[in-house]
Amino acid sequence: MKLRNLRGLLLPLLLIGAWELASRQDAAGAYAFVPLATIGDALVELLGNGELLVNLLASLARTSAGLALGIVGGVALGALMALSPLANRLVAPLFHALRQVPMLGWIPLIALWLGNGEASKLLIVSLAALYPMVLNTFEGLRQVDVRHREVGQVLALGRWQQLRLVLLPAALPSIATGVLQALAFAWVTAVGSELFLASGAGLGNLMMNAEAGARMEIIVICVLCIGLCGYLMTWLSTLLARRLLRWRPTR
Amino acid sequence: MNAIAPSFPAHVQTGALSIRNLSKTYPLKGRPVPVLQGIDLDIRPGEFVSILGASGCGKSTLLRLIVGLDPDYQGQILLDGQPLNGPGLERGIVFQDHRLFPWMTLQQNIALALKNHDLGTAQKQRLVDEHIALVGLRGYEQAYPHQLSGGMAQRGAIARALVNKPKVLLLDEPFGALDALTRVRLQQELQRIWVQERCTVIMVTHDIEEALYLGDRVIVMEANPGRIGEQVQLELAHPRQRDTALLFQHKQRLLAQLVGH
Repeated sequence: MKLRNLRGLLLPLLLIGAWELASRQDAAGAYAFVPLATIGDALVELLGNGELLVNLLASLARTSAGLALGIVGGVALGALMALSPLANRLVAPLFHALRQVPMLGWIPLIALWLGNGEASKLLIVSLAALYPMVLNTFEGLRQVDVRHREVGQVLALGRWQQLRLVLLPAALPSIATGVLQALAFAWVTAVGSELFLASGAGLGNLMMNAEAGARMEIIVICVLCIGLCGYLMTWLSTLLARRLLRWRPTR
Repeated sequence: MNAIAPSFPAHVQTGALSIRNLSKTYPLKGRPVPVLQGIDLDIRPGEFVSILGASGCGKSTLLRLIVGLDPDYQGQILLDGQPLNGPGLERGIVFQDHRLFPWMTLQQNIALALKNHDLGTAQKQRLVDEHIALVGLRGYEQAYPHQLSGGMAQRGAIARALVNKPKVLLLDEPFGALDALTRVRLQQELQRIWVQERCTVIMVTHDIEEALYLGDRVIVMEANPGRIGEQVQLELAHPRQRDTALLFQHKQRLLAQLVGH
């Protein structure tokens, strides 16, 4: 049982072994694949002077704020489009055209409008979270079982009650899928925006500074940190979704 | 036991349903197809009416019109003399599938029916508890629908329909999806509950035995287009026994009529 749970660690451990092996080949190898000992020293250094924590927290805060905005806005817009044919006809073409533009493609334009500070980054992260939220909320609401809608009618629920007590709970599985996607997008674009918009703190900024100073080991730490945090956040929201959707039969 | 007696009590005053010249068409490939034609029906307060018919005769459509899910029809439906306009809490319905919301516990599902009632929280809670007990589901208050068997979920649906104290209870093949043993048990339960509550009931079914066992009156519906056929008045007090000779005779006759010509 215990051993089976550790199977997921096998591949990462092999990779680390290969990495260390590569770093010991020659000088070029040692530059491209920084030795584990150097990475360890840098980690102690970054933890000691608080740089890693400050930048990590900045990235996490940015992701959370953007995600929250994207979720609220996305559910609202998705619900509006699903419930009002008029709103759908008005908004859908623009929405579907805009979402084809890759997030990083917006950066030059947004930087021009809002500068390279916090507002630009927040907008980018929110937009990244918004798209999957709109799509999944829309789909979820569209697929509500007509038999459940009818029960709401028979019980004489008002429009708002119908939305709150029938439609949104019925769409919740789909909305939860949206949140998981939005989380992944938000995290990736938060770090991505930090790479392009240089002001402020964040893991992306830490990486850019490390690149400028040829500190390969810091970049590696950042990459590991980004991966690990993304993994943890997804895991936490899966747990949350499971809790919220406990009414579903387990398959 | 089998003494002829009025099987509906005099104290039930409200819940009289009158259907006047009701017709309904569905568009099919652009052409209107009649589903119901010239339905005239008077149901007394507290009467249990079984509507018996083959599938496709429009009997479920009739219930959907009465409950207010479909406003598109010709003719009139009057409840205690008032024309109906959309769904209302004075009418409850149980569908063939229980239609409990999977994201709510049994208790929450039943309480939802009281959402728009002007009652205090404590009183609503008491009503919910009473009706859970009435359908024999005490102990399952916190269960989600997927944790209940088909028969239990259908009991929950009956409780949800009754908790409003509706004047008219509509049952759309309520036991059609259950296994034979559960069906028989729930028919008995329904009879017990109805004897206690005495609301007007209209039950749609294709089960002759069920129609006869429960109904004060059995109305046979004919198909294409759906219209009222024979009506059988059953002067037999509730609660009834299944093996009554009178019911058996009617069963043989209706069976011959509906199946063989």
